[in-house]
Amino acid sequence: MTARIGLWLAISFGLCFATGLLSHLIQHPPSWFTWPSRPVWLYRVTQGTHVISGIASIPLLLAKLWSVYPKLFERPVVRSVPHAVERLSILVLSASVFFELTTGLLNVAQNYPWNFYFPTVHYAVAWIAVGSLLVHIAVKLPVVRRALERTTDRKPEPKTTSGLSRRGFLRTTLLSTGAAVLATAGATVPWLRDVSVLSWRSDNGPQGVPVNRTAAAAGVLTSARDPEWRLEVVTSAATRSFTLAELRALPQTTAELPIACVEGWSANATWTGVALPDLLRATGAAPGVTVKVTSLENRGLYSRSTVPGEHTADPLTLLALDLNGGELDLDHGYPCRIIAPNRPGVLQTKWVRRLEVVA
Amino acid sequence: MRIARVLLVLPGLAALAWGLILFGQFALPPGPQAFATAAWLIGGPVVHDVIVAPVVAIVALAVVRLSPQAWVAPLLTGAAVSGVLGLVSVPLLWREFGAAPMPGLHDRAVAPGLLVALGVVWALVLMAGIWRSRRATAPGAER
Repeated sequence: MTARIGLWLAISFGLCFATGLLSHLIQHPPSWFTWPSRPVWLYRVTQGTHVISGIASIPLLLAKLWSVYPKLFERPVVRSVPHAVERLSILVLSASVFFELTTGLLNVAQNYPWNFYFPTVHYAVAWIAVGSLLVHIAVKLPVVRRALERTTDRKPEPKTTSGLSRRGFLRTTLLSTGAAVLATAGATVPWLRDVSVLSWRSDNGPQGVPVNRTAAAAGVLTSARDPEWRLEVVTSAATRSFTLAELRALPQTTAELPIACVEGWSANATWTGVALPDLLRATGAAPGVTVKVTSLENRGLYSRSTVPGEHTADPLTLLALDLNGGELDLDHGYPCRIIAPNRPGVLQTKWVRRLEVVA
Repeated sequence: MRIARVLLVLPGLAALAWGLILFGQFALPPGPQAFATAAWLIGGPVVHDVIVAPVVAIVALAVVRLSPQAWVAPLLTGAAVSGVLGLVSVPLLWREFGAAPMPGLHDRAVAPGLLVALGVVWALVLMAGIWRSRRATAPGAER
């Protein structure tokens, strides 16, 4: 039973680690890493998987620990040096997995009862968790194999007179996991939107799309509405500036693209604006160059982003002016924002004032 | 088997070492952030082993002792599902350190949603309990 739940937990936690690592690489790409711009929904799926598999891991971890809880009281506490190392490694494993699941859950709820910077620590501890998980599986592999083989030649299960049978315990674990997933997955899965009572997103956002950072919070209420606003496009040859009317006069592209937050929520929307390849060509640059985007927002994580060549060559990467048929709401980045296919929401810079070709 | 174990242990130790290096970069020299992180790290197993697991054990024991046999499994399952839903909703309900609601984010009424979910869970528990008791008392039922 422990082996079976352990296997489920290893799968869900492994998925969570892999998708989390991917999201880290997309946001902090090393030189050897490129992330494609298609399919447009890929990041939405991987990051949704990250958060859903993390939530699924909570009941699985609790069930796993419950099934081995009596071992905590084993005597003698330490039998030998290998036994001591094994017990210590289990402490490292459970501490790091608990840490990842609790901090992750609090982060999607934007709830920070701590003083450290969440992404750095969540990332470092993820490696400790997955490393100690692999070592733990290696240590227990003979036990796991015996246990899983035993269940294949299934004997009729003795009826228990009290508590839950093994099968009943597994059923309860699956039901709890299913309930936790159903209650939250609507943050990203559209058809679960009305079912997921514990989802952290709603349809109340302006133009039907949630807002993670308002214009007021970003301090751009005045600068974004300034009639003197111009978009600056800097290339190696020249610097050009565009008024909003001039941007509207350029060929417009409409695309249905999801906005997918690292915090697991996502929403599909119809965006209209100037395709970045068109804008680059209009300013004498070639699509496929790296472009640095600067926001009217002065400081902070969201004030700038870098769009790699993979995305600046994609005709669906837009400098969006309209959203869902109306002019971009101030909270969605008026006068214009970047919306690129298959990118984390944190990189879809709003209230753009400057695009700079860097390579 | 030996090869499989080596193939798990080596990348495992490498990942562990890399994690410790990253963690060291963040936590050394130790300051207030490192101490807070250490507390959050050790807090998980401690809270689980000292509070959560004993509470689960007491509730389970009470259910097993006090309820008719046919009701034990539905009640335990209902309690487990409710506990998990309760845990998952804590960060949404307890907002002392939470960011302010944004348009479209964290602006739903969580408590009524949780109550509806618990209502559904306990309605199912009731149905399963009644069904199992009837089956247990039916003539010729397998004991």
